[in-house]
Amino acid sequence: MAYTIRKPLTDRFLNAWGILVFMYLFLPIAVIVAYSFNNGKVLANFQEFGFNAYVSGLENDVIVATVFTSLQAAVGSAIVATIFGTLGGVALAQAKRGVWWAVGLTVALGATLFTPEIVDGIAFLPWFVTLGVDWGLTPFNDGMVRLIVSHAMFSMAVVTFIIRARLAGMNRQLEEAAADLGANVWRRFRDITLPIAAPGIFAGALMSFTLSLDNTILSSFVQLPGSTPWPVYIFAAVKVALRPEIAAISTLMFLLTLIALGVCALALRKTGGSSTEIIKTMAG
Amino acid sequence: MIPLRNRVFGPAALSFPTWAYVVFFFIIPVAMVIFFSFGYKPDIYTAVATDTLSFDRFPEAMTPAFMSTFFATLRISLLGTFLCLLIALPFAYWIAVKIAPARRSLALALVMVPFWTNFLVRTLGWQIILSPTGFFSEGLLALGLTQERIDILYTHTAVQIGVVYNYLPLMILPLFVAIDRSGTKLREASYDLGANKVKTFFKVTLPMAMPGVISGCLLVFIPLNGDYITATVLGGASGSMIGQLIAEQFNSAQNWALGSAMAVVLIAATVIVVGVGFALLKIGQLIAAKANSIPISNGRV
Repeated sequence: MAYTIRKPLTDRFLNAWGILVFMYLFLPIAVIVAYSFNNGKVLANFQEFGFNAYVSGLENDVIVATVFTSLQAAVGSAIVATIFGTLGGVALAQAKRGVWWAVGLTVALGATLFTPEIVDGIAFLPWFVTLGVDWGLTPFNDGMVRLIVSHAMFSMAVVTFIIRARLAGMNRQLEEAAADLGANVWRRFRDITLPIAAPGIFAGALMSFTLSLDNTILSSFVQLPGSTPWPVYIFAAVKVALRPEIAAISTLMFLLTLIALGVCALALRKTGGSSTEIIKTMAG
Repeated sequence: MIPLRNRVFGPAALSFPTWAYVVFFFIIPVAMVIFFSFGYKPDIYTAVATDTLSFDRFPEAMTPAFMSTFFATLRISLLGTFLCLLIALPFAYWIAVKIAPARRSLALALVMVPFWTNFLVRTLGWQIILSPTGFFSEGLLALGLTQERIDILYTHTAVQIGVVYNYLPLMILPLFVAIDRSGTKLREASYDLGANKVKTFFKVTLPMAMPGVISGCLLVFIPLNGDYITATVLGGASGSMIGQLIAEQFNSAQNWALGSAMAVVLIAATVIVVGVGFALLKIGQLIAAKANSIPISNGRV
């Protein structure tokens, strides 16, 4: 407050609290980064400083393959979830209040958020077997297709609701004006709706990419040999032995994501959206 | 008469692909799980059979061991949600109100950073920290706070610390948005009318932030209740959560009927807890409204 000279007690408490929470949020990440320079054989047992884990991690074909599987699945499911979620979000935003299909879709998507991930996992497992083996829809026998389809389902509700929220405040008169000026459905969508929805679409895509990259429970149920994603590989290693390679590769992925995010932030600044705006859109 | 073109491209038709996806990849498979829960396991080579349906799997699922894990899970998730709220509320308030607007984006970006590292890897970080030879133990020893190494890895406490950590950003973000949205004007009005900081917080800021509190609690409680990754990494066998038991039925025991019944119990419990939460909230709001608070409790300006 500008009209108090000495900082009040509550402010000092809040400042201390904020810094403590930030330390809490960063502590385990810092630990993982530090332990990635462990030259020992066991992750948790720090022997000596060195880069052995980075070298042997990058030389390990299995590890590299799982990381690529994860990245592919994340990009694929982000694309699928963003396309379907954008259509759903635009439709919901334009729907008249209380129309059965809009209420139904909102409830169904809401239910996907309410369903514990483990239930999605056990539901997808027999369903993919039915589709791929019993019905002969062979694409569903492919591990990557399974990962993309299930991850996209997992994040579709998030994307849809983000875009609906983004378009909720949109001025419908803009579209009507465009229609009066002779713009057809496609041009109205491209020139009016899409640019307004863009930050939402971007936030949704980013969100589904992250959700997919992080996904462990669902993936462990739907994966097939040869398409094991990175988190599932780590989870299997937890039960056997954790080696410093896991920390090293995780640190590299962390750096890559930070760089990618930085690039995204710069690109967004060019198009005029602020990061606060994006984060607000993300959080609904 | 609506032109054909508008019907084909209208919002109802636009929603069709999303509808189809949800029906095909969510409603049908989940309905199958519910259907399986009425089936049985015919022999050791078959995961499920549904030629005769019964409710028998539900009593079979609810063994004392299952129920104790079930209530342990509920306790961890409820306490975890509460602790997240407790930690996040002052923090979100700090970012939304106290931090200079120029630095707010940076602070928010920093909150998001843990999101960009893998969930499992962060949990592994805690495993290192909490192990008897880890920093936490060494630090307390060095400070002379304890005489011997503390051994909390593979306990409920470790799981609790891990889940609060893992789901905290999901609480911070909606709270921030809600507090930020309420703006400074109402708070200043409250000060002008003579309310002190504490009163302003409880009578203005908190009621305004209620939608954020609700969505934050939902975002934390629901995934937490089904989580078993944190429990496996930090809890070992003792800290097991309900998700582990369900996964076992599908992965090793190959008893889909029993696993499905357990899953149905989990969904039902999640829905009931959320329902009870909303009911308590409504009652609380009614009481608050009676107790002469400023009538803006529905969070809208």
